[in-house]
Order: sequence, then structure tokens, then C-alpha cells
Amino acid sequence: MASDKSGSSDPPPTDLKKERDEVLQQFAKGTRISEEFIHEHERMQSRLRELETENAGLRAKVEADDAIRDLLAKIDQLEAEKQDLLSRYREAEAESSQWGERFQEVEGQFADLANLFVASNQIHSSLSPRGVTRRLKEVLAQLVGAEKYGVYLCNPDQSELVPIASEGVLGDELTPVSAKGGPIGEVLRTGAAHIDEEVDASKGTIARPPAIIPLNIDDRIVGVIAIFATLEQKSKFTSVDFELFKLLGQHAATALVSASMFAHAERQIPGLEAFRDLSV
Amino acid sequence: MAEYSCLIVEDSPMMRQLLVFALARVKNLRVTEADDGVDGLRKLASARYDIILTDINMPIMDGLKLVKRVRSDPVHKETPIVIITTEGSQEDRQRAMQLGANAYITKPIQAPQVIATVKELLKI
Repeated sequence: MASDKSGSSDPPPTDLKKERDEVLQQFAKGTRISEEFIHEHERMQSRLRELETENAGLRAKVEADDAIRDLLAKIDQLEAEKQDLLSRYREAEAESSQWGERFQEVEGQFADLANLFVASNQIHSSLSPRGVTRRLKEVLAQLVGAEKYGVYLCNPDQSELVPIASEGVLGDELTPVSAKGGPIGEVLRTGAAHIDEEVDASKGTIARPPAIIPLNIDDRIVGVIAIFATLEQKSKFTSVDFELFKLLGQHAATALVSASMFAHAERQIPGLEAFRDLSV
Repeated sequence: MAEYSCLIVEDSPMMRQLLVFALARVKNLRVTEADDGVDGLRKLASARYDIILTDINMPIMDGLKLVKRVRSDPVHKETPIVIITTEGSQEDRQRAMQLGANAYITKPIQAPQVIATVKELLKI
């Protein structure tokens, strides 16, 4: 029995020991190499992670650069659109301004036409000389803004103009005027209206009226309206006043003479025979 | 759309006609005419107006008396009043404004000015 125990604990032969030491050395070397491999693997993995992170960052940067490029392109496009819209807006604004001006102009013309219509309508809305004169005075006062004026008619031989109506001047200030002298006589002779644009119309006088308008029946001058002064707030005549002067020149005398003839005919409307054979 | 009513108090038929023409340019404005101050007060007693245009020199009751009466009328004491007159002096203007007028236009009138004043006072 003792020999069995001592037999099992015999030292290995020398060559086996050497072999074992070599194996152990190889094993230790393999372990070291494995550890190195593991360590290297871990380092590589760590580096991989770093590179992945770096790569993700770079990818994001590239993507961001693309986004910036896209945004810049979009900004350029929007800028171009903005310029286009601004240009169109300016065009529309200019057009709108032109329309606005045109609208104001048309409104002004409408107002002028309304004045002319009302004046014409008033002058012809009476068949009594007094009624026509009253309306004529109203047109002069309310539409022209005349404060002092006289209406003159020619005597039969056209040598003199006789005042038949006035406003704002004393009766004895208005006397018949010779057809040969002064601005009133000149208007009668030439047939052309006299407008003194150098003088403040509100400060005119009988000697220097700012406006004298000839009154016509067809081509014949039968009188004048002399405006001696306008209301203080009206210092000069406007374009509609000149149109009103033309209208008064063409209609006032006709209305006055027609009303006068109608009065002389004792307001009898002529019989039908007076209107026969009028067709041309 | 709101409709507005306007009373014109003016003794001259020609001026009334001219003002009616001018105010026809204001949309949704119904215009009523009165011959003088008394006629104006009668019309103000029977209806409510959003704006009043009145002359000063009128027979029976002038425009300034009308302004005073309107300002003491509970229904129309706040109603805008536009004076339209030949009286162009600063004193006349001040007197009318002190009595309670809201605007003062001198004759001869310019229709665009009347229209603009009415629109401004009606806030339209």
C-alpha cells in the first residue's frame, strides 16, 4: 500500500518537466497575447465608437451645410419673389395713385357740371323778368361768389349800357355807362369777356371790375354783367367760374328777353300757328 | 350697411339743389330739405338726423339760432352741424363754432369739400 502512495508522488522525469515548463510558458505567452488582443480589441472598439461619433458629427455637419445651402437658395428665391412683389406693388401703387388723381379730377368735373346744370336750370326756371333777375343774382352770389355786381343792358342804339340790377352797390353809384369808354364799353365793343387776373377779385372796384361778361343773344351783344368785387374769401376766379361766365353770357340775356317778351304778351302762350313749319 | 340721414336747412332752392347733387355722392345718405330755421326745427322734431347742414342768413329763423336750438334738443344735441355761408370773417366762424357748430364752409361751395366734411363728421 505504501508503495502505491509513494509511486504516485514521484517527480516527473526531467524531459516532461521541461516540456511542462515550455507548455506553461507557451500558455502564459498565449494568455498575455490574448490579453493584449482583448485590450487591443477594446481599444479598437473604443476607437470605433469615437470614429462613429465623429462620423455622425461630420454627417450632421454635412447635412447642416446642405440645409444651409438649401436655406440660402430659398432665401435667394424669396428675395427675388419679394423684389418682384415690391415691383408689382409699386406699379399697383402708381396705378392706384393715377386712379386716385383721375377720380379726384372726375369728381371735380362732376361738381363743375353740377354747378353749370344748376345755374342753367335756375336761369330758365322762371318766365318773369323779376324771377329771372332774382335767379341770375343768386347764381352770381352763390355760385360765383360775387359780392358787388351790376347787370347792364344796351339801349336801342347801342350807345349806352343801362344798369337794370345790382347787388352790394348803392343805387347812385351805378349810372349808365358809355359804350365808347372804360372796360365795360370795351367789352361791348369787342364782345370778349374782360377778366383782370392781376387784381385780388375781392378788392375790385366799380372803376376796375375784376370780371365783365358780355351777354349775347345769338351773335348780338345786348348787355354785360360786371362783377365789381367777390366775397372776401374768394380772391380769384377758378376754371368753373369761367365756364359759368360763358353760360351766363349765352343764357342770361336769352332768359331775360324771353321773360320780358312773355310778360309783354301778358303771359299768353303763343298759339300753335307760331310753332308751325319749324322743322328743318 | 348703415344708412345716414342728413337735413339741409337753406332758403335758396339753388343752393339746396347744389347740395343735394353733392351729397348724392355720399353712399347711403338720405337727404331732407328745409327752407329755413323754423322748417328745419319742425323736421328735426319729427325725425332723427345724423348730420345737419345749415345756412346762416335765412328769413324767419337764421342758422345761428337754429344751432342754439339744436344744441338744447336732447335728441340732436350731439348731432354734427355744418355751417354753409357767405359770411367768411373769422368772427362769424368763431361765433358759429362757439354756439356748437362742428364745421364751417364758406360759399361759393366746393362740392368735394362738402362731401369730405360730411364723411369726416359721420366717420364713414
